[in-house]
Amino acid sequence: MPNKKLISIILGVMCFALTLGIVIQVRTIQNTNSTIGQNQEANELRDEILRYKERYDNRFKELEEAEKKLEKEREEATQNDSELEQAQQKITEGNKLTGMTEVTGPGVIITLSDGTGISTSTLNPSQLIVHDIDVLSVVNELINAGAEAISINDQRWVLTTAISCRGNTIDINGERIGAPFVIKAIGLPEYLAGLERVGGYLEYMKRDGVGVTLEKSNSITIPKYSGVINFKYLQNVEE
Amino acid sequence: MKKGKIAMTITIGIACFALVTVMMMQFKVVNETDITAIEDMQESELKTELANWKTRYEEIDAQYQEVTQRIEEYKNDEQSNNEASQLVQEELEQTNTLLGLTDVHGEGIVITLKSGEDITAISADDLLIIVNALKFAGAEAISINDERIVNTTDIVNILDGSFIKVNGQRILEPYVIKVIGNQSHMESAVTGNGGKVDELQTLGHTVTIEKDNDITIGKYNREIETKYIE
Repeated sequence: MPNKKLISIILGVMCFALTLGIVIQVRTIQNTNSTIGQNQEANELRDEILRYKERYDNRFKELEEAEKKLEKEREEATQNDSELEQAQQKITEGNKLTGMTEVTGPGVIITLSDGTGISTSTLNPSQLIVHDIDVLSVVNELINAGAEAISINDQRWVLTTAISCRGNTIDINGERIGAPFVIKAIGLPEYLAGLERVGGYLEYMKRDGVGVTLEKSNSITIPKYSGVINFKYLQNVEE
Repeated sequence: MKKGKIAMTITIGIACFALVTVMMMQFKVVNETDITAIEDMQESELKTELANWKTRYEEIDAQYQEVTQRIEEYKNDEQSNNEASQLVQEELEQTNTLLGLTDVHGEGIVITLKSGEDITAISADDLLIIVNALKFAGAEAISINDERIVNTTDIVNILDGSFIKVNGQRILEPYVIKVIGNQSHMESAVTGNGGKVDELQTLGHTVTIEKDNDITIGKYNREIETKYIE
């Protein structure tokens, strides 16, 4: 008899627990459902973004083609005049340096990744994360070591390139990128590899627990700038 | 008695099974919605992102039209046996402007910095951060003590910070940063809460900002040589 009572109580408690569980779950789902409803508009926005991204990508490819064609036309138009030919070469060379064309050459690839924090006893977890100032400092040091072209996660470093922190990501050339940051630089590999020297910024980052690797390469390709540089406020001084 | 017990056990078993199944299903749904919630950007963020991609598309499209038109112009010159010199000169001037090889002028601001006494002097990093912030706000041309900032400009401390080199050239205080661009954008890029200028002032350095409607910034006055890029 007491056995039966015990079973009843146990069953009662079990049923109660299960029902409670279900109620909690249903409530949770109702809440998330309401956010899904709000997300309807967000979904449309996301679709719209993707459409524009696609249009941009297509136009960008067409632009690359057109620029190659323009270079050919320019070469043809200037081949009979040594002065013009010189100007033509300056334009072609200049486009490489300003980031308007893709370039290749020897150099280094530096990868910066957020530290895991296992191997270090750092007090401040923020030290383990790659910050905008870290990327900026590495780029500055690469230029100091003679880099002629630089990209960060395939975003070309051009005249107007700035690096800005946006939460966990970095904003560069209007695009948002996250760790790991792959910095490619073309120049004399031995000089560029000097960034690993004792007391240099890379070593300082390593000490903080950030993942740093540097690799020399004989052939690095750095893409052209993904945007357009337009001047609104600036004018050339008339000579 | 025995039959009733078996029936009850089975009923309870089925009920428990049903309950557990419902719970499992619910768990799954909750899990899935959580994943999409993480992937989602907030609506206001999405709007900014959309505006950003719209502008980028429009810019790249305008550039494409310009290049296409230029190709046509070269072709026309060829057909009419015109010299292409004007076209080439135009293109060369554009390239030189991007390289910083031309003197430029326009509206902007002038920032003058002087280190405070008895505190750590203003460093290359401070200048680097200011230049970066100005670029982010849309600066079109910048110089520090008349050294033009080009895309291969480095700003470094020499001898443990006893002086600063820009473009390999030693510069001395006061540091005068000239920048061409939208005046209020330039100013707010470095002032305000968290701005580098405010930070330096709080530390005890002297910083002044002046607006100027026509600043002239000199060209980068060195040969630009490339050896490694192809």
